[in-house]
Amino acid sequence: MSLQFTNVEKRLNDSLIFPTFNLQVGFSQVTAIHSSLNVRNILLQMITREVPIFNGEISIGETKISNVHLPDIGFSFLNEGLYERLTVIEQLNFYGKLYNTYEEISVILQKVHLEEKRNVRIKKLSYSEQRRIQFARLLFQNPYLLIFEEPDQNLDIETQRVLMIMLDELRAKGKSVLILTGSMESAVTLADKVYKLDEGGLHEIQVTEEAEMDSIKEEVTATVEIEKAEAIPVRFEKIPTKVNEKIILFDPPEIDYIESNDGQSYLHFKGEGFPTMFTLNELEERLQHFGFFRCHRSYIVNLQKVREVITWTRNSYSLILDDEKKSNIPLSKTKMAELKVMLDLK
Amino acid sequence: MTFSMKRVNAIFQKDFKDISRNSAVSVTVFMPLIIAFVMGKMNSNIAVEAHYTVINITLVVVGSFIQCCLIAEEKEKNTLRGLMLSPASTLEILSGKSLLSLIAMMIVVIIGAMMTGYKPENLLITASSILLSGLFYIGLGTLLGLLANSVMEASVIIMPFMLVFGFGSMATIFADKYPILKALDYTPNMQLMDIAAKVESGIGLGGVWWNLGIIVLWIIAIFALTVVVFRKKKMD
Repeated sequence: MSLQFTNVEKRLNDSLIFPTFNLQVGFSQVTAIHSSLNVRNILLQMITREVPIFNGEISIGETKISNVHLPDIGFSFLNEGLYERLTVIEQLNFYGKLYNTYEEISVILQKVHLEEKRNVRIKKLSYSEQRRIQFARLLFQNPYLLIFEEPDQNLDIETQRVLMIMLDELRAKGKSVLILTGSMESAVTLADKVYKLDEGGLHEIQVTEEAEMDSIKEEVTATVEIEKAEAIPVRFEKIPTKVNEKIILFDPPEIDYIESNDGQSYLHFKGEGFPTMFTLNELEERLQHFGFFRCHRSYIVNLQKVREVITWTRNSYSLILDDEKKSNIPLSKTKMAELKVMLDLK
Repeated sequence: MTFSMKRVNAIFQKDFKDISRNSAVSVTVFMPLIIAFVMGKMNSNIAVEAHYTVINITLVVVGSFIQCCLIAEEKEKNTLRGLMLSPASTLEILSGKSLLSLIAMMIVVIIGAMMTGYKPENLLITASSILLSGLFYIGLGTLLGLLANSVMEASVIIMPFMLVFGFGSMATIFADKYPILKALDYTPNMQLMDIAAKVESGIGLGGVWWNLGIIVLWIIAIFALTVVVFRKKKMD
């Protein structure tokens, strides 16, 4: 059974939170809705029946949400508490009895990488490890529909990998997964289908790969460009951005990465995003010979800042930057091949 | 949905492990035992009223306070939402918790009675009337647990009830001066003492049914109030 939103709309007093939209969360795939905190909370409260739905209907299969048996849905909330005085194994035992499952606890412990910590009290675990216990709960519950709230916020790399593998398994088992997040990076990295929901409505964000035919062509033009740059001795290479009425100039090497969001490009510098008037294609062309790399349809990364290339599963990758936030940039499969060539890796 | 003893048991075990490691709550459990110990050492021939001061304090402190803390902590630590979205029904959650409070309460009552040297004439009537009042105190704890949002609040909210039900018998001394205090005669703790006094004078079950009836009325009242508060909280 799949989760379906039909003409769902939310107005609060005089303001429109989001207009009517239709969305179906299909089987065997991960769907992400990128939205503000406010929209996310309202969607979650609608699904858990904490706020009534005045317009439209949310349904699971043929059943309206008001008649759905909520324990059949797997929720992973961002602020979900744990019994912090229990040890890991005691907490998992409790889940096993509560959900009455026959899943082997040792198998689940292994899946969430908590075997070594099995006798440690939960309050002594790190935030990421605590989040892994929540993921373990979902494995015990084994529902057909899973809803994650900000699944990879502030997680360490190990936990992100656990999550990636878990999502892959869920896909393979034919489950429907809905991710609600405020971070475009995690939406793009985790999900197969990404939507953006705000007061302008629901828009699908294309994450499918472009034809990669022109990549070789680009490299050729890049070398031509370098020659050109040498020919013209003074060439202004700072990238202008606009903040309120001010124009701020950035030296290419200090930019961490560039992200495209809703047709607007943002330069990311020391953890802050600055809107720029150029499109990603224009920027890609201008910045290529500074060691910038188009690692994804909506991202250009400064390769000088990349610290780590992470392979989550066979076809999903991420770049970890060396900045303060240890930003996590999605790297698409086709671009991975290109990057390997650039790094002289076979 | 069916009522599953397995889930009740899971919640009972989880709460038992959790609360036994919570020093703030588990220390409170020993308070009535300390009073009982001091009393037992001070005097070897204790009046029935003194025995029942210990028992009544135990009922409030262990029964109501633990029950209240168990519920309030789920709210404070944000675990209640997850529990409510699990297959366990509200009745199963509350049963698991009540079972723990009830067992802890009875154990402390028995140890306390051994320390003060209380030997009732009719063990059956005494035990069943204590158990019956226990239900009232569990209900009271559940009600307060629904109202309190943290363990901190729980320990404050329990105070007035601890005074009335634990030490109420002392106030009846002033009943001649302030007639309003006569109302205290009908509280469950005073009824319990009344039963005990009657049992000591050799009156059987026939003489105490009136007192038991009043306790049952208290139980019905507290459970009705709890259901009303629960419904109202659910609406908000």
